[in-house]
Amino acid sequence: MKTKALLLFVILFALATPTFAQGPGAQTASPLDLRPVAAVIGMAIASGLCGLAQGRATAGASEAMGRNPAASAAIRFALILGLVLIESLALYTLVIVFLRT
Amino acid sequence: MHKLTAFLNENFGNTANQLLDALHMPAADRTHPWQEWLVTEIFVFLILVVGAAMLRGSLSAVKPGKAQLIVETVYGFLRNTADEVGIHHSSKYAPYFATLFIFILACNLIGIIPAFESPTMFPWVPCGLAVATFCYYNFMGFREQGFWPYLKHFAGPIWWLAPLMIPIEIVSHLARPLSLTIRLFANMFAGEQVTIAFLKLTLLIAPAIFMGLHVFVSFLQAYIFALLAMIYVGGAIAHEH
Repeated sequence: MKTKALLLFVILFALATPTFAQGPGAQTASPLDLRPVAAVIGMAIASGLCGLAQGRATAGASEAMGRNPAASAAIRFALILGLVLIESLALYTLVIVFLRT
Repeated sequence: MHKLTAFLNENFGNTANQLLDALHMPAADRTHPWQEWLVTEIFVFLILVVGAAMLRGSLSAVKPGKAQLIVETVYGFLRNTADEVGIHHSSKYAPYFATLFIFILACNLIGIIPAFESPTMFPWVPCGLAVATFCYYNFMGFREQGFWPYLKHFAGPIWWLAPLMIPIEIVSHLARPLSLTIRLFANMFAGEQVTIAFLKLTLLIAPAIFMGLHVFVSFLQAYIFALLAMIYVGGAIAHEH
């Protein structure tokens, strides 16, 4: 019941965003530049998800190494490969940030 | 490196401009066609070639010196990794992987020395390495399997899925050099930017820690580039038994 109320409040808040719109008579010299804001939000989302994914990869690898210490070398190999490939996804976002800002 | 670049721009600037114009790629700044990252890359290349030539003179099977043991360890490690990835005759392809690893490692690490900048910090150097790797694994695939069989394996195992498989395979093959480029470039670039950012904030300890992280990332990225090259070559030469 509380989550439904919270969801309702969030939707009402989002629907009320036209109140932030500019009045009809006001003319500003330069429009609001949202590119840095978009870059920061995009990079934050990419890094956060990358952190989650790498945490899951490390957790799986640590558990596997605990269960089967003899296969540590192969598991470590797969772990490093997986971590680097996940890292590169966050880095693609960084490149776009530098290209588009 | 600044002085060497300035020397080359003064004395060989016209040669460079002529070469670039002949290739229809005129330099952005005609007074400085030699860029510092290119001079550093050629410098690293010359150091490696001269070092290898000096090592080759002192190779010995019965009494190996320290340098020979180090190089043998690196080469053996990469050849064993190629065996693990699934390449059967890894000795045929190991020289390329070892060259890739040693060159990328040297390019990454030379940026730690204060007067130098890593060539891999500029997008063109990893792009060149990635395009070379792309050409290498496709050429090895053509050489190993023949022209038409290699192209036919893009269609996948089931023939009526081929119209779906071929565009997917082409896009994924084209994404490989892109991802190799961006991974190496972004790691090196971000490592340096982070060190600079912390140099502006604190003075000594934090930038030193980030430079240490940058050294570790240099080793890791060189290894990953060589490892992915091995995986691509392994996928290209794999025979369906």
